[in-house]
Amino acid sequence: MPGRRASTFACVAGLLLAGPAGADPLPPDTTYRPLPTMPLSRVRAIDEAQKPEVMTRQRTLLESRYDLADRPRDGAMMSGGTKPVQDGVRVKLPQGASWESLGALSPAEIRDQDLLPKGFLPLPHVKQATGGQVFPQFAIDEIKAQEQRDLTRFDVDFDLPDHLVSEFPPPIFLTTQPQLGDASRGELLTISNHYELFNGLLTPVQMEGLRILLTPFPQEEFNQTEDRKTVEQHRGVACLDCHSNFHGNAGFHQSPDIRPQANRFRLDTPSLRGMFNQQIHGSKRSLRSIEDFTEFEQHTAYFNGDHVSAARKGEHIPDRSHKVAFMAQMQNIIDFPPAPQLDPFGRLDPALASEQELAGEAIFLGKGRCADCHDPMTAFMDNQMHDLKLERFYKPGEVVNDMVTLPDGPIKTFTLRGIKDSPPYLHDGRLMTLADTVEFFNLVLGTGLTGDEKEDLLAYLLTL
Amino acid sequence: MIRTAAILLVAGLATGPAAAQMGNPAGMGADTRMAEPGKPAPHQTNNTDRLFAQLAAAGGLAEVDLGEMARDRADAQEVRDFAEMMVRDHGDANARLAELAEAAHIPLPQELDPDHQALRDRLEGTEGAAFDLAYIRAQIVEHQKTAQLLAWEVNAGQDGDIQRLAADLLPVVLGHLERAQALNGELSGAGVRILP
Repeated sequence: MPGRRASTFACVAGLLLAGPAGADPLPPDTTYRPLPTMPLSRVRAIDEAQKPEVMTRQRTLLESRYDLADRPRDGAMMSGGTKPVQDGVRVKLPQGASWESLGALSPAEIRDQDLLPKGFLPLPHVKQATGGQVFPQFAIDEIKAQEQRDLTRFDVDFDLPDHLVSEFPPPIFLTTQPQLGDASRGELLTISNHYELFNGLLTPVQMEGLRILLTPFPQEEFNQTEDRKTVEQHRGVACLDCHSNFHGNAGFHQSPDIRPQANRFRLDTPSLRGMFNQQIHGSKRSLRSIEDFTEFEQHTAYFNGDHVSAARKGEHIPDRSHKVAFMAQMQNIIDFPPAPQLDPFGRLDPALASEQELAGEAIFLGKGRCADCHDPMTAFMDNQMHDLKLERFYKPGEVVNDMVTLPDGPIKTFTLRGIKDSPPYLHDGRLMTLADTVEFFNLVLGTGLTGDEKEDLLAYLLTL
Repeated sequence: MIRTAAILLVAGLATGPAAAQMGNPAGMGADTRMAEPGKPAPHQTNNTDRLFAQLAAAGGLAEVDLGEMARDRADAQEVRDFAEMMVRDHGDANARLAELAEAAHIPLPQELDPDHQALRDRLEGTEGAAFDLAYIRAQIVEHQKTAQLLAWEVNAGQDGDIQRLAADLLPVVLGHLERAQALNGELSGAGVRILP
C-alpha cells in the first residue's frame, strides 16, 4: 500500500507539474478595489436612500443576537470614573438551551443541531460591501466641535448603543509621568488642543510624534476623490480618530488582510495602552514592531492592505528613521490604567483583594485556562496568535448581512490589563460584556466552570 | 432517488438567509433602473453579476462533466460517491443559475471552457488510484476558486436574486471543499484537519 501511494504520488506530481499554465485568474476586483462606476452625486443619492434599511437590518441582527439593554453592574466603573461597566450575559441563547446544557454537548453536537448562540459568531460590519471606518456619533461630534472636521458618512452610522462601548473621552496614563494619573484633563486629544494639554509633559520628540498621530490624512472613505463616503472633499482621518486618547471609542473597520471583501471580518479598534509591552501588532498581520505598524498603515489606505488605493487618495510616507520613530516613542509611553490590587508580577495582593477576587484569580490561572495565553507576568498576553477553532461549533459559509461567516483562524492575543474599559470584546467586538467573554471561553475551551466560578472570574477581571 | 435528493437540497437552500443585499452603489452599473430609490429593479445586473454568472456556469458545467467521468472511472467508492454528489449538487445549482441568467438576459457557456477542457484531458491520461487523486486534487482547486467567486458576487454584484443564489451555494461549496480535502488526506495518506 505505501508503495502504491508513492507511485500514485509520483504520477500525480508529474501531472501537476504539467499543470494548468495559463489558466485564468479570478476577476481583478476579488483582490483590488475597483474604481467607482458612477458619479459621486448618484452614489450618494443611492447610499442615502439605502441607509435607513441598512441601519434597520443591522439593528435587527444585533437585537436577534444580544440583549442590548442599559444594565450597569453595581459598583463597577471604568477607569476614568465616567461610565459604568455593563453587567450580565448579553448573548442570547437558542430556544430551550441553557449555558449548562450547551456545556454538556460536544462541539460537533452543537454544530449539527445549530445550537451555537449566534452572538458567538463573527459580527458583520454595518455595510459589508463598502466597509471602511465607522465612528460613534459622540466621537464625530467632539472632533467636529474641535476641528470643524466631520467624520459623518452618508451611507452608514455607528451601530452599537453608547452604553455598551468605552467611556469617552478615555483617560490617558503616561509611563513617564505615573504620579500624574489621568493626564487627559477630561478632554479628547486633537490637533487643536494637544500642545496646550501636553506641553511640559512630553519631550520634543514625543510631541512631534503626537502631532503626526493627530494629523488627518486623506484615506479610506474620508478623502478628496469620488471614492469616498463624505459629502465634502475631506481632509482625512487621523490615527487617534479611532484610538481616542490612545485608547479607543469602539469605532470599527474591517480586517485589512483578507479578500474578497465579503470575507473580511469586522475589526473593533484595539486600545494602545501598554504598547511598550506588545511585541506583535495587528490581529492577523503580526507586524513585529510598533514602528513597522505605524509606518505600514500610512502606506496602505489605513487598514485596507491596499497600497494602490492609498497612492491615489494621498499616500503619506513618514520617514522611517525620523518621524516613524517619533510616533512610536509617543505610543510607547501610554500606560495601562492603574490596577492597585496587582503586585509587580501581575498577581493579586492577598492583603488588597477580596476572597471572591482571589478565587477568581485561581480560576483564571487554573481551571479556566485564561492564563495559558493571558499570562499575568507578561501584561496578560503572550505575544502569540492562537486559533480557537470556533468552526468546530458551526458550519462555515452562511452569509449574514452580506458577510460570509468563516473560521477566524489564528488571532493575536490581546492584553487583559484594563479590560473593563474596552467593551465590546474579541477582535470584532462580537461580545458586549465581560460576562459574555466568560461564557464564550467556557464553551469554546470546554472548561466546565460552575455559576459561582464564573462570578468569581468576573470579579477578578474587574481588578485588572 | 437522485431527483428527490436534489429537490430536497433546493428546498433546504431556499430557506436560507434571504435578507436584502446592500451593495456599494459605487459599483453599480451606470444604467441601473431602480424599483424604488436605492433598490435596483429585478434582474438589473452589473458587470460582476454577468461575469460571475458566466464563470460559475463554466465551473458548474465542468463539475457535472468531470463528475460523470469520475463516477464511472474512479477506483475508490468514496471518490465515486463524491463524484455523484458533484453531479447532483452542481446540476441543481446550474439549473437555478440558468433560470436567473435567462431572466437577466445573461448568455451562459454551453460547453467546457479551455481551462476545464485541459483539466479533462489531463484526467483522461490517468487511471486507477492516480485518477482518484488527480480528480480530487483538481476538485480542491475548483472549489477553492468557486468559494472566492461566490463571496465576490455576494458583495460586488447587484442582482439580488443572483447574489442570494451565491449566498445559498457558499456553504454547500465549502462543504464540498472540506470533503475533498478529507478525501485527499485519505487517498494520499497525508491526513488533514478533520473536524470532530
